[in-house]
Amino acid sequence: MPNISTPRFKRFARRLMIYESAAAKPAGVNNSPAFRVCEKLRQPLSRLAGVAGFRSLLSRALALANDEVRWMKAIHVRADGSLEGLDEAQAQLSETEIADGEIVLIAQLIGLLATFIGEELTLRLVQESWPDAAFDDMNH
Amino acid sequence: MAQKSKTTGRQRARKAASKPDKVTIRKLPTGIPGLDAILGGGLPEFSFNIIAGGPGCGKTTFAHQFVFANATEQRPAIYFTILGESPIKMLRYQQQYTFFDPAMLNGAIRFINLSQVVMEKDLSAVLEAIVKEVEAANPAIVVVDSFRTALRKRAEITEMEVQFFVQQLGLHLTSWEATTFLIGEYVEAEVQENPVFTVSDGLFWLSQVTERNSVVRKLQIFKLRGQASVPGLHTFRITDDGLQTFSRTLGLSERKGRPSRRPRLSIGIPALDKLMGGGIPLGDSVIVAGASGTGKSVFGTTFIAEGLRRGERGIMAVFEERPEDVKRRAKNLGQDLEKAERQGKLKILYLRPLDLSVDESLQAILDAVKEIDAKRLVIDSLVGFEMALAPGFRTDFRESLYRMMASLTGTGVTVLNTVELDETFTEFRFSQYMVSFLSDDIIRLRYVDIAGVLRRILTVIKMRDSQHSKDIREYEITRKGVMLTDSRLNEYRALITGIPAYWKTLSAIEDPLK
Repeated sequence: MPNISTPRFKRFARRLMIYESAAAKPAGVNNSPAFRVCEKLRQPLSRLAGVAGFRSLLSRALALANDEVRWMKAIHVRADGSLEGLDEAQAQLSETEIADGEIVLIAQLIGLLATFIGEELTLRLVQESWPDAAFDDMNH
Repeated sequence: MAQKSKTTGRQRARKAASKPDKVTIRKLPTGIPGLDAILGGGLPEFSFNIIAGGPGCGKTTFAHQFVFANATEQRPAIYFTILGESPIKMLRYQQQYTFFDPAMLNGAIRFINLSQVVMEKDLSAVLEAIVKEVEAANPAIVVVDSFRTALRKRAEITEMEVQFFVQQLGLHLTSWEATTFLIGEYVEAEVQENPVFTVSDGLFWLSQVTERNSVVRKLQIFKLRGQASVPGLHTFRITDDGLQTFSRTLGLSERKGRPSRRPRLSIGIPALDKLMGGGIPLGDSVIVAGASGTGKSVFGTTFIAEGLRRGERGIMAVFEERPEDVKRRAKNLGQDLEKAERQGKLKILYLRPLDLSVDESLQAILDAVKEIDAKRLVIDSLVGFEMALAPGFRTDFRESLYRMMASLTGTGVTVLNTVELDETFTEFRFSQYMVSFLSDDIIRLRYVDIAGVLRRILTVIKMRDSQHSKDIREYEITRKGVMLTDSRLNEYRALITGIPAYWKTLSAIEDPLK
């Protein structure tokens, strides 16, 4: 049975991507909001679980997202936990297709984390990367 | 006498004047019930400690309890993880404990993974990474879990390098006013040689011992600088609340002195009170011993019910019957234990997990006594209690009972213990444990065969420091409770053998001319 990302986590992922879309884009960094969300999550999660720990989580999230979004197969996780292949995908797909796929990937990552450590702790970890964001309504 | 005390006073003053003020070492609460008392009041602040032991013995939970009990936003705890349990899984499991407060994560408690530094760099880089985080966060507590993996990686690390690393780490963390725990899987044989143990201020050894089908967890404080801890092996249990430790000297230090004149408590059977010289002296420990079916438990519930009637709260620690059965049986005798329990005047403890330690049972009983300010306690029965213990504790049950009775009576509560005996017709035992010395008073129940009918008799064997009747009396258990017959069974001899005979028959045999 495929693991479908829940609407709630998708909503959460969409919000994170909106925050990132609105934020100033660092020079030389991939413009994809999903990439930047993953990058932001990489820091606290690698700090907590180690680079290998974060990489394994993201790889699993990517595998789960593959069940829902076919073009995700073109994306890979590097040894340091960063994503590769998004640029190529962006060149071939529409903005909507890219955005929908990215949401699924982020939703799967957050959902996976919530499965392991619970939603409350997950929210705390995410909040660390977006300290000014309001996530209170994401608890329910 | 006056001269002597004057001299002592002067000596004391001189000593105080010549001695500089000692530094006060603050003691931190461990968050582990029972452990502060074992440590001598808590864990010394800024100490550099090691929690050692085999896998699965509770080292991480120990550290977490301490961290959750002490970390604050201003002085947080940094929890470094290295190549041991995955931090994600650690959080997954640790949050199941009641002490785990998610609100403290990432503020008061920060987890940092150092696996990569350990894998890719040398010890000085590990030290540098720890120092950097500590200087940035100003933590009150630092945990390194598992510390051993930081040292185990490279075979070429010399003992001197390890010693230097640990010494530097200890030096830095202490200078930064952090209380530190290094967690590691070590075996006991390493204690003498491993340089890590030399540097540490405190060394906590956790172990779990398999005894037949039971597992018993034990804690030993090998070392604790700066204060006296209770030596020896202390049992502990891990429940939903985390670790709970049970000191092997539990309760002994709180012993109250007995007043010279003590009031007596009615056992609830007036004729038996009379045989005992007016009842049980307050604070005594009594043994009611007899074979199965002689009514020992009835004596116990009667003692409790009488106390409740007089406004004295009671505890029943039952090891054989279920609490519902105890209450049902009492109800059949007109004793409403259920109501008293509802009103908080009675607590029935059902202790039967088959891997108990004496200290754990004692703790449960002492807590209950304290909680409701109980005056009466029934332990029904010592045989059931022994069966509920892990096998290792049964071997020194007699010594443990001695300590347990001393602790319990030390609180001032009056204890009635029941003991089941295998009835023989060749001896008149009081208990298979040879523990009669630890009870103040002994009531012996037994069956006798009289004219082909099994009847019950009782006698008061011993009342410490007081007079009592030596009568052997028959008793019955009726719907009104235990009823003693009015007079002695004068016409029989050798009642205590269980096979009495008529005195007349004896006379006829001894003097055939009569």
